[in-house]
Amino acid sequence: MNTKRILIIDDEETIQTVVQFGIKMAAGWKVFTASSGFEGIQTAQTEKPDVILLDVMMPDMDGIATFKELQSHSETEQIPVILLTAKAQTAEKRQFNDLGVSGVITKPFNSLDLPEQISRILHW
Amino acid sequence: MKKFQHQRRTYNKHLIQNLFKNAHDAIALIDDHLYFVDMNIAACDLLGLSRKQLKGQALANFITAEFTRQPNSLSFPPAQSLMGELLVSSSAQNQREMEYTLIPNVLPCCHLLLLRDISHRRESMQAELRQQQQRVELFSEVTLKIRQSLQLKEILHTTVTEVQRILQADRVLIYQVLPDGTGKTISEAVLPDYPTLMDLEFPEEVFPQEYQHLYAHGRVRATVDVHDPAAGLADCLVEFVDQFQIKAKLIVPIVQNLNAQSQNHLWGLLIAHQCDSVRHWVDFELELMQQLADQISIALSQAQLLERLEEVVADRTAELQEEINVRMQAEAALRQSEEQLRLITNALPVLIAYVDDQQQYRFNNQAYQDWLGQSPKEIYGSHLHQVWGEDCYQRMQVYVKTALSGQAVNYENDILLKDGSWRAVDVTYIPDVDDQNTVKGFFALSSDISDCKAIERMKDEFISVISHELRTPLTSLHSALKILATGRLGSLSTEGQQMLGIADDSTERLVRLVNNVLDLQRIESGKVIMECQACNAANLMIQAAEAMQAMAQQHEITLVKQPQDISVWADADYILQALTNLLSNAIKFSSPGGTVWLTVEQEQGSQNLPRELVFRVRDEGQGIPADQLERIFEKFQQVDSSDSRKKGGTGLGLTICRKIIEQHNGRIWAESTPGCGSTFAFTLPTLECVNISWRGIYEYEADFNY
Repeated sequence: MNTKRILIIDDEETIQTVVQFGIKMAAGWKVFTASSGFEGIQTAQTEKPDVILLDVMMPDMDGIATFKELQSHSETEQIPVILLTAKAQTAEKRQFNDLGVSGVITKPFNSLDLPEQISRILHW
Repeated sequence: MKKFQHQRRTYNKHLIQNLFKNAHDAIALIDDHLYFVDMNIAACDLLGLSRKQLKGQALANFITAEFTRQPNSLSFPPAQSLMGELLVSSSAQNQREMEYTLIPNVLPCCHLLLLRDISHRRESMQAELRQQQQRVELFSEVTLKIRQSLQLKEILHTTVTEVQRILQADRVLIYQVLPDGTGKTISEAVLPDYPTLMDLEFPEEVFPQEYQHLYAHGRVRATVDVHDPAAGLADCLVEFVDQFQIKAKLIVPIVQNLNAQSQNHLWGLLIAHQCDSVRHWVDFELELMQQLADQISIALSQAQLLERLEEVVADRTAELQEEINVRMQAEAALRQSEEQLRLITNALPVLIAYVDDQQQYRFNNQAYQDWLGQSPKEIYGSHLHQVWGEDCYQRMQVYVKTALSGQAVNYENDILLKDGSWRAVDVTYIPDVDDQNTVKGFFALSSDISDCKAIERMKDEFISVISHELRTPLTSLHSALKILATGRLGSLSTEGQQMLGIADDSTERLVRLVNNVLDLQRIESGKVIMECQACNAANLMIQAAEAMQAMAQQHEITLVKQPQDISVWADADYILQALTNLLSNAIKFSSPGGTVWLTVEQEQGSQNLPRELVFRVRDEGQGIPADQLERIFEKFQQVDSSDSRKKGGTGLGLTICRKIIEQHNGRIWAESTPGCGSTFAFTLPTLECVNISWRGIYEYEADFNY
């Protein structure tokens, strides 16, 4: 497994931290963090991560809007996006899949398991 | 012989002279030129001149011109007499009607003229004629008067008054014979000089039964003089009539022939009294009385008919009045019940209405006024479209049609109130179907569910809060604990490790609990709609078993599955959730080394319904007491609450399973023999069932197209 570059966009700093720790600890991947959709898009444009973990519920610009924004830019449209959501319902998962995201990981999750889940979703 | 002849001649001469002299009729001898030759005393009296004066006078001076043309003595055949009538004028210009006989040539050139005065006879004849005519006139006048009235009393009064007038009798009365044999005067016309008999009741002996029979058979009694023994009146009766000054009387019966079969019945008597003198009753008077008695009889029948008719009318009127009363009472009752209905419906803060099959309001309560500002009176007869406006009507139209097709329907709508606020309403239409299955309209009930909606929104918001606000820190907590547990951030003491383990377990339990609460909430609120499609039962079972394999291994449980390729109509994700839930329970409550079976069977549905699939999860655990078999499906119910903590359950798993299965129109239950394990089973419809119910729907719709 090559060293992957992961961008986590979540307004919740504790989540940023546990995801960063967990991924680093479990897989040794590099994790970038962003606290808002706006910041996340900028980071994505500059850092070009291998995958973006995107929180759905965020103030101002939520995950869906952020995803759409990412899709509208040529620099970021190719980056796979995995949604992190507390909305665990089947119907909602289907709805998110319909958007064109690569996958959905529901909260609560164990950040140590994230690299494995991401690899499975993206077939790494 | 000669002597005898002479004697005879003398006798004849003497006889003739006597006859001539004393004859009552006028006798005259006239010559060929109709001049008087001689005449008798009667002729002198008739013509008003002496014999001397008359002799030689021309007959023409005394008789009408017509006669002069009549007899011509010369032309008379010998001994043929001529008869006829003529008018004779005396010198006193007194004209008389005479019957004459002219006997020609009783002596040579001498004719005998006999004149008999018939003017008196004529007069009496004419008087008779006049009387008869008068009688007819009177009679028709009286009968007309009688006929003009239908009131018996008036008829009788008219009769006695008229008879009294015509007969010039002193008293005329109608005596009614009563059934007990007594009788009384019921109508009377009497001159003021004489006592009245009106309303006087007579005992039976005055008019005994045998007399009544005679009268009933048409007896008529005309008594000229009550005191005349020839009249045959008993002394006591004479005495009796004397007190009323009756001198002569005329009695005719009033007989009724009630019907063709019955005998004549003597109803009463029509009686005329003469009080000032005896009286010879003439035929005309008798006839008049009899005819009037007949008229009275007819009038009686008519009056009785009328009375009966009046009775019938009165009865019918009473009946009608009764009917009217009943109807009025019914109407009053109806009004009252309607008022009561209004009172009740007006007091309720919901819209209540009845709409007919033309979509027009036939009833609506006060709430319409309060909510929409339209009074029930204004709305009555209005079309739904008028009351609700275009947009709202568009939203309700489909449901209105459903209701008018005979199906009850319930839906939610948003309506604009008169104060400009929008309200969410829950609307129910219940069709009004008559005996012939014709939909006459529907009952409409709309209640304000804005508050419920607000609460629902709050609940949604709360769920959203739990989802996000609670899960986010949980995620951090969970991950942080897991990271700590790796030991790569530093080693913990044994106690530290133990505490970390407890924190980790508790966090996991909390995560499950939150997940379950959310799941249940979602399903219960009806927000979750099962997206059913044809699924393979075998696939579902394999997936569920795979998902639980790790847990089974951990608990040292053998998981045995017997999948079958049967199509089932279900939402695969939710059925998987139910299956894994049941498997997880079975594993948790089995002892290490035990076995858990997952099977499926196709079984006949209950009540001859189509076949359905039955999934079963069987374990060899401790089992469930019979009284707990149903309770375990309730929220937070576990057989042994200490188990819950030990086994890490939330107490919501089975409740969620039941909700999921019920949403699939299936059933879920538990069977157990304590000590020998438990079996959890649930049914799901097969494709066959679904097809049948769909076909049913199509057929139903097809029916409506006709």
